Amino acid sequence: MNNILEIHNLSKRYPGVQALDKLNLAVEAGSTFGLLGPNGSGKTTTLGIVLDVLKASEGSFSWFGQPLSRNTKRRIGAILETPNFYPYLSAAQNLKIVADIKGVDHAGIDPVLETVGLRARRQSLFKEFSLGMKQRLALGSALLGNPEVLVLDEPTNGLDPEGIAEVRELIRKVAGQGKTIIMASHLLDEVQKVCTHMAVLQKGKLKVSGRVDTILNQHDQVIISTGSLEKAFVYLQQIPQVKQIRKENNELVLSLADGFSSADVNQVLFSQGIVLSQLTVRKKSLESQFLDIIRDQTTPTV
Amino acid sequence: MIQHFATELRKLLPYRTFWLFLLLYMGLLLLIIFSASHVQINNQAVGANLYVFPDIWATLTYIASNFNLLLGILFISLITDEYAFRTIRQQVIDGLFRADIIMNKFWVVLFIGALCSLYVFSLGLSFGLQHTPTVTLAKVLSGSMHVVYYLVQALGYMSIAVFFAFLIRRNGLAIIAYLVYTKIIEPLIHWQVPDELDKYFPMKVFSSLTPMPGREVFEAITGPSVQLSPQQAVVPALAYIILFYLLSYLLLKMRDL
Repeated sequence: MNNILEIHNLSKRYPGVQALDKLNLAVEAGSTFGLLGPNGSGKTTTLGIVLDVLKASEGSFSWFGQPLSRNTKRRIGAILETPNFYPYLSAAQNLKIVADIKGVDHAGIDPVLETVGLRARRQSLFKEFSLGMKQRLALGSALLGNPEVLVLDEPTNGLDPEGIAEVRELIRKVAGQGKTIIMASHLLDEVQKVCTHMAVLQKGKLKVSGRVDTILNQHDQVIISTGSLEKAFVYLQQIPQVKQIRKENNELVLSLADGFSSADVNQVLFSQGIVLSQLTVRKKSLESQFLDIIRDQTTPTV
Repeated sequence: MIQHFATELRKLLPYRTFWLFLLLYMGLLLLIIFSASHVQINNQAVGANLYVFPDIWATLTYIASNFNLLLGILFISLITDEYAFRTIRQQVIDGLFRADIIMNKFWVVLFIGALCSLYVFSLGLSFGLQHTPTVTLAKVLSGSMHVVYYLVQALGYMSIAVFFAFLIRRNGLAIIAYLVYTKIIEPLIHWQVPDELDKYFPMKVFSSLTPMPGREVFEAITGPSVQLSPQQAVVPALAYIILFYLLSYLLLKMRDL
């Protein structure tokens, strides 16, 4: 398998806090990878370490199967937390410095300014920019030199709805060019809209990682009603297809184990002589799925 | 390397603080030298004695040495700004390594040191030519080694400032620590420690590079103070300069950005 980024047993301790605890992760080439978690879960810490600005307490990582080098850095365009530029320099002057460091020809500056819609403001000083423009300039700076990988930390943070839509559109466009994108976000909605793969972090630990569609679909709930509620309740607690069950009014609410559907439940109950009067599959809201992932201590860490 | 230096210039040249400090340094130095050359003692212009070749080099570099702190403060601002703007972080993300960051700052220190030494040299030439009755090339150049000593001294003052900037990372605090160390702590140490030892302390080594002219007369009254000669001070001064960059590098390497 062709992995862009591999992380092995990465840990980061601050005095009194375990910011990252033995994280293992792999990002496949061509994927749009979302690193999801509440604030303080270790997303920025993880990105900071693989981008060489934070020191890992333990563990290792590799880009393109190689250790960090000038060459690997040039193949990555990254923004960490805030847009970082010289306030007294113009957009173009700032990007010239970035281009120098990345070893990119200055001819590449205007096209990226065009891409992020700042071409007309190229001579304006960075300090005069609005937050949205600063964010877009940072994105443009990350795109300089046409890197294979984009690393974005909360790219829509602090933007207005229009700005958020623009940035997401830009990310999809870039992903469409076959680039690998790694983005941190605390918004499940954003990850679900933009990403193909995701990993969920909580308190520095990996809760789950994999394809977005598999992770988000496996947590649907099945609600059943039947004349023989007690019998069904006892039986369903014993079979492996059911992961969790609880009684709610005159209904049973089930979470199914991986790989089973509501049809399987219907079939086994029927074979036991239990006839259902109602069977509903409830798609959980994204937020409650997210909370489930975070709360569910039994979710295997991958 | 040249590419890195060019990039540093892109940051430096549009930076207003740089021009402010450079102007302050050049203007104040010119003002002091100009007004001192017109001071009359016993109906005789002081300049007539101090501003002739080859003595002028020692005089001039001694006066210039008082303005080195300005250069140090400029560098503290340059470096702590990179922390405040977080551009230091972004540049490590974009492709630099920590050793590059230190080396780039060293090139800028060298550049500004050379610029100021060149300025001192040209001041020396113009004032010397005005005040020296008979000028020969040998006379002009004989004391000009002092400008090289001055260059080493300016590099020293800036290098210790670079160290304080990387150590403390905040503009105001770093400037205060720099001034307190150079102007208060080290002089206090000099006072407590035997001269044989304190002559090797960094600020004393740096100041030995531009001794006060006419010190011999002064010392006839107060007794000799033990101090390295400028020639002797060059090697320890260079060693300190290297040490300060090494320490800055270690700080940068050890800590998160």
